[in-house]
Amino acid sequence: MEIDRVDGRTPNQLRPLACSRNILHRAHGSASWSQGDTKVLAAVYGPKAGTKKNENPEKACIEVIWKPKTGQIGKPEKEFEMILKRTLQSICILTVNPNTTTSVIVQVVNDDGALLPCAINAACAALVDAGIPLKHLAVAICCCLAETGYVILDPTKLEEQKMKAFAYLVFPNSILSVLPQGSSLVEGEPMEHGIITSVTHGVMLVDDYLHCLQRGRAASAKMSDFLRRSLQSQVPSDSSKAG
Amino acid sequence: MGLPNASGDLSSEMEVDAFRRLFPLRFHERHLVESIRPDARPVGRARETTLALGAVASADGSALAKIGSTTMLAAIKMEVMTPSMESPDEGCIAIEFHMPPICSPIVRPGRPAEAAPVVSKQLSDTILSSGMINLKELSLVSGKVAWMAYLDIYCLDADGALFDAALLSAVAAFSHLKIPVVSLNDDGRVVVVSEEQEGGKLENEPVNKEKRKLTLSSIPFSLTCILHKNYILADPTAEEESIMETLVTVVLDSSGQLVSLYKPGGPVLAYSSAVQDCVALTRHRVKELQKILNEAMSDMEVD
Amino acid sequence: MAGKAGTAPTTYSPSPTQKTKTPIFKGEDLDWVRPDGRGFPECRPAFLRTGAVNAASGSAYVEIGNTKVIVSVFGPRESKKAMMYSDIGRLNCNVTYTTFATPVRGQGSDHKEFSSMLHKALEGAIILETFPKTTVDVFALVLESGGSDLPVVISCASLALADAGIMMYDLVASVSVSALGLNLVIDPILEEESYQDGSLMIACMPSRNEVTQLSVTGDWSTPKIHEAMQLCLDACSKLGEIMRSCLKNAASDSQD
Repeated sequence: MEIDRVDGRTPNQLRPLACSRNILHRAHGSASWSQGDTKVLAAVYGPKAGTKKNENPEKACIEVIWKPKTGQIGKPEKEFEMILKRTLQSICILTVNPNTTTSVIVQVVNDDGALLPCAINAACAALVDAGIPLKHLAVAICCCLAETGYVILDPTKLEEQKMKAFAYLVFPNSILSVLPQGSSLVEGEPMEHGIITSVTHGVMLVDDYLHCLQRGRAASAKMSDFLRRSLQSQVPSDSSKAG
Repeated sequence: MGLPNASGDLSSEMEVDAFRRLFPLRFHERHLVESIRPDARPVGRARETTLALGAVASADGSALAKIGSTTMLAAIKMEVMTPSMESPDEGCIAIEFHMPPICSPIVRPGRPAEAAPVVSKQLSDTILSSGMINLKELSLVSGKVAWMAYLDIYCLDADGALFDAALLSAVAAFSHLKIPVVSLNDDGRVVVVSEEQEGGKLENEPVNKEKRKLTLSSIPFSLTCILHKNYILADPTAEEESIMETLVTVVLDSSGQLVSLYKPGGPVLAYSSAVQDCVALTRHRVKELQKILNEAMSDMEVD
Repeated sequence: MAGKAGTAPTTYSPSPTQKTKTPIFKGEDLDWVRPDGRGFPECRPAFLRTGAVNAASGSAYVEIGNTKVIVSVFGPRESKKAMMYSDIGRLNCNVTYTTFATPVRGQGSDHKEFSSMLHKALEGAIILETFPKTTVDVFALVLESGGSDLPVVISCASLALADAGIMMYDLVASVSVSALGLNLVIDPILEEESYQDGSLMIACMPSRNEVTQLSVTGDWSTPKIHEAMQLCLDACSKLGEIMRSCLKNAASDSQD
């Protein structure tokens, strides 16, 4: 059953993560996020006054602009923009700054698989850097499913193309609460097990999908630890940019 | 709603239509408490669905699907292309979803709807990855010529669950598709063999005499649900979609396998139980849709 | 996995497009029959239905022969921000074709010429004073083109306006005539239009006997124009009656 991965990782092993914040000086917040050779840069501008047409002015509006590595923006990029926008909307507290627009610009630096999850993680870190009020963080992960029902995490581009199916999953990170109830349970499941976003590609059994969910949740706990650590470590240096 | 108390006071003496417009969320929640929806549907039931095949005479295959008021017209036009080097014995399918200004008050001419390219991409991902169509069947002469099937889906009336209706019309158009009989002429171009020629003697033998229909294996069907608090509302209308924003679209094929589980964000988190409930609702819906498709196809054969 | 999206291969339609067929009409021959078997002064069967699109304020679907058109009307609603203040309402028209409307697959783009023709044909019939500062949008989609597209779009649009409750002096009915040599054929199909020597289209308000639009192309003699106009006006008044009864039926259905 074991599948040998080209880069010698175990099925559950993620590629090395790297996150740095406050890398662009003109943007209100920025971050770069890389998983192995996949790297995405995100910049946040705003909140700016006014919302776009057909948006609810009683809430803050999030606008996502996707910049591919090369070439024009096409249908896949439009879809990524929409998914990213809806995902970020669900983690932001939209009632704090009504009738404003926050722009998130995502620049793909290199795509080596799991591009959308990497972009979601980058955008999330950039929102924190810009000080946009958030309910919680989001952690995105890609699970790949082999023909035999075998799951591997965080695939490279080559693995993504070879496999039967894959799922992009986004979970909320675990909340460190000062309140006594700790991480709240919803329907017998901890809050961080709820899916914010799920996008799948390829045919699979329903049970295989649920299996992917389980594995994704386990891995997301580790990633959310990493995200928290990397966000905390840079807080002191932030004071220089207060103006 | 910032002021629940204020609305509570007003609601006792307000007309229903005014209440619906001013406090849409409360209006819908009041219905949900009674396990019913404003259009008198139970929470888990989809709207009435109809399907008509062969609505467009100028296309090679077409279908009109209606789910409630949401109306989709899909048509396939077959054209000829040179297959690519990587897959010389495969044809190609190009899927495009259009939202013309007639379908909704928010679409204006010159400014295409934001949803259109996204649904387009979702449809081609679903149809191509489901393996419903064997692209090899679209080949005419290996390495030389193959079919390019242009599938265009027009939304004529947008009232929620656009993807579901679009997918239904798309698979119905493919099941109605009748590939024209063609032959190679002396210049190497492919030309249609007209009906009167078919019986008589031909200068050039037709290349695809027997392959007129595609064999569709494992047809995908979908159901979109709204998650709101603990409720799961199947097949939402446009009004429901605008008020309760968490949508989950499940696509299953006729053998019960998962083709796509699509949840783009939304304020409500989906837990395992909700995912399984959505899948169960979709299982039920797939049976309904399969029956509707079969009936539409047998109606065509009678005519 | 995204597939061959990036490189769209060039394709062509296998159906014979510009085959040199013998023209259906020969010289001054008066005995030929029309391709669909109609007589010269005979219109195609018409099917009309209002309320085709629920999302719109008013809408209509018209099918005349193989020509199938849907028109939605939105408004009166807020004009574009850039628009100046106006005492009278504005009318905004747009005509689009589907990619599969024509025998050879098209681009499905806006039809600028028909959009402005539709605007001109309707402008005179609508009482714009009844909705100052606002805009009424009339959007048409040609599902299938089978000849005489513009007249069908105009008639359908006026039905949709009536369905939306926009005040009009009268319904606008429109019919066209093609000249093939010495013969006049009314309500031409696509094939006849491709061989025509001239064409004349009238949009009129039948009960007021007023013409809102008249367009003539090609080579016409004065007596021929008179004959063609009379033919069109007669057909318009008949079409107007059908449109009126369609609206009456819809109104009585909704009362039941």
